[in-house]
Order: sequence, then C-alpha cells, then structure tokens
Amino acid sequence: MQLRKVKFEVLRFRPEQDQVPVFQSYEVECMEDWVVLDALNAIKDDVDPTLSHRWSCRMGVCGSCGMLVNGRPVLTCAAFVRNYSGTIRVEPLSNFPIVRDLVVDLDGFVDKLKSVKPWIIRKIEKDLAEGEYRQSPEQLDEFKQFSMCINCALCYAACPVLANEPEFVGPAALALGHRYNLDSRDEGNAERFERFDSHDGVYACSYANECSQVCPKHVDPAMAIQQAKLTDFLQWAKLLPKRSFT
Amino acid sequence: MSAPAAAEKTRTAPARAPAGFPFGFYRYRNYVLFASTSVFMGLGCIGLLEGLFALGHGPDAWNAWLAHMARPFDLALSLLVLAFTLYFVFRFGWVGRKIGAGRIGPLPRPPLPLPVLGVAPLGGFVVLWLVLLAILGGLLP
Repeated sequence: MQLRKVKFEVLRFRPEQDQVPVFQSYEVECMEDWVVLDALNAIKDDVDPTLSHRWSCRMGVCGSCGMLVNGRPVLTCAAFVRNYSGTIRVEPLSNFPIVRDLVVDLDGFVDKLKSVKPWIIRKIEKDLAEGEYRQSPEQLDEFKQFSMCINCALCYAACPVLANEPEFVGPAALALGHRYNLDSRDEGNAERFERFDSHDGVYACSYANECSQVCPKHVDPAMAIQQAKLTDFLQWAKLLPKRSFT
Repeated sequence: MSAPAAAEKTRTAPARAPAGFPFGFYRYRNYVLFASTSVFMGLGCIGLLEGLFALGHGPDAWNAWLAHMARPFDLALSLLVLAFTLYFVFRFGWVGRKIGAGRIGPLPRPPLPLPVLGVAPLGGFVVLWLVLLAILGGLLP
C-alpha cells in the first residue's frame, strides 16, 4: 500500500510544564486508508509517547475522538488523511478547557446533559407487573432522529453562542431534552421547562446552525432547539395564568 | 477511618474560541450580524417613540422631528435600521421554516393567534419604518 509523508501540527498542553498550549510538529508516514486518529496513534506509539488524546471504538460510534482538524470539529476516526492536503493541524475541541494536549474537560458538558433530565419521567409509575410502556413505530419516529446523539460534543465546539456565553446549555443537551419531551412515554415536559426557559436555555440560541453542520450523526440539534423554542413558549403560555407577578 | 481528601483538580488551559470566530467564517459572521440587529432595532424603536411623541405635540413638533430625521446621518441610520430589521425578518422566517411546527411530534400545534401575535409586531415595525422613509423621501405627504 502506498505511503505518504504527512506533516501534522498538534496542539500540546502539558500542565506541569506549559503555561499556554503550543504547537508541535510531527512527520508521519501515512497509509492510503488512514484516518487522522491512525496518525495520532502512530505518533503516540512510535514517535512521542507523551502525546495524549482520547479514542475508543474507531468507528464513529463512541464519540470519544472529536477534535479540531484544520479548524473544523470532526471525529478523527472518520477524517481520512487523504482528504487533506498540506500540513494537517490537530487541536482539542474549542469551547472546552484543555486538560492535556488533545484531551478536554467534559465535566461541564456532562453537567449540562444531566440538567435537562434526560430520562423518562412519569407522573405515576406503572407497576412492573403491568408490563412495559408500549410505543408504536410512528411514535418512535417522532423523536428517533434526536436520539441518535453520541455525545461527541462537536456541536459544542462549533457553537458561537457558547464562545460568547459559556453557561449556555448547548445543542446536544437541549436536543436530548427535546427528544424526551417528544417521547410518547414521557410526562416530564413541565419539569424540563425551567431549564429550557432559563436565561441559558433555548432562547440563547440564535440559530447559527453550525451545530447541525458538524454533527456526525445528522441529529440536527439546531432544529431540535428551534422546535423547543416554540414548545417552550406554548408551555410558558399554559403556565401564565398560574404565575404570580408579586 | 477519615474520608480521603478530595483530589485537587488538574490545572487546565482556558477554552479556546472556535476557529474563525467571530468574523472569519460566514456562519459566525451571520451570528454576529443577527446579534447586532438588536442594536439597530432598538435605535429604531427609540426613533419611532420620538416620532409618536412629536406627533402628540402638534404639527410644529412633528415637522421639526421630520426635519431632524431628514439630516444625512439620521437618514443613513434609518436605512440601516430598515436593512437590519429586514435581515431579522428573513432570519425569523428561516427559523420558522426550520421549526416545521406541523411536524413537532406529539406536542400540540400552536393555536393560530400565537404565530400571528409573534409576527404582527415585526410586520408593523417594518411597515411603519417604510412609511417614515417614504415621508422623508417625499413619496408621501
């Protein structure tokens, strides 16, 4: 198989020695069918074992290997080296603090996911003996697209609102919350309302649509958020008579 | 046995803005442009309130306000207000199409008055601004 020498510029940050992140160059002999993740693994295995990056499944399912490649957030296991010309620049995901090299701190992201209560909420739980909550294929279709998220956080790295307002709940979490609001088995719309309606909720999104462009699973979080704005507004209107304005 | 001390968090480098933010990439430029519509629409609202105030104070005050608005700087600003408002309307319509209200799963469709209430003030603002520019341009008395 044909080999091609490719120059990589990788952003390094070693907290014990670097005050700020710095680029380091590597030259790697890449095979025709390599993805950027293969090249990073080759660097770690054969050139510089101190390089840190996250990866797991190597097939676009786990969502661990998201990074910026030439400035665009991508899953590096799905970014073929042959599709890039010249030097390939690899950086950690933007809008996240950098823990080390290409590894970012996802704590805030996970907290935001949890904040939208991404589980089925029932007013009264059925007894186990009564069996499962049934759902038709049509009912499944209504939210299936939004349930395909793999939490790779590429949408957070692409979002200009998060660059301005780091507290914004963000595309993946809002799409996930909306997915449960659309689920015929769920009755938690009112419980999620407070988070959706907050200052950092759905209305903070001004629809740049970049989240949907970079989503590797075509979840279209931008659509989920715009739909959630409307349903949130309806929920607000429903609760209006019960509100106290004192 | 005492509880183990909480592990000290590793020092992290601050989050970096996306590549091309805010002006180097067209979607981010759109975001900034959309955000800036609020400034111009706010100025437009102040202008309309001033106009209403002048109208309430008789023909002299109204004519003085019109003369004030006809100065090149205010005229240019008025055109910018209209341009930014139209851009906002365009984006609003685009988002509306994206929402696809008829396709939002099991949730109820919004009653018709709601979208009308949402669009009416925006439409009214555009119409008022067009009327004002027509008066300043001499197309209306």
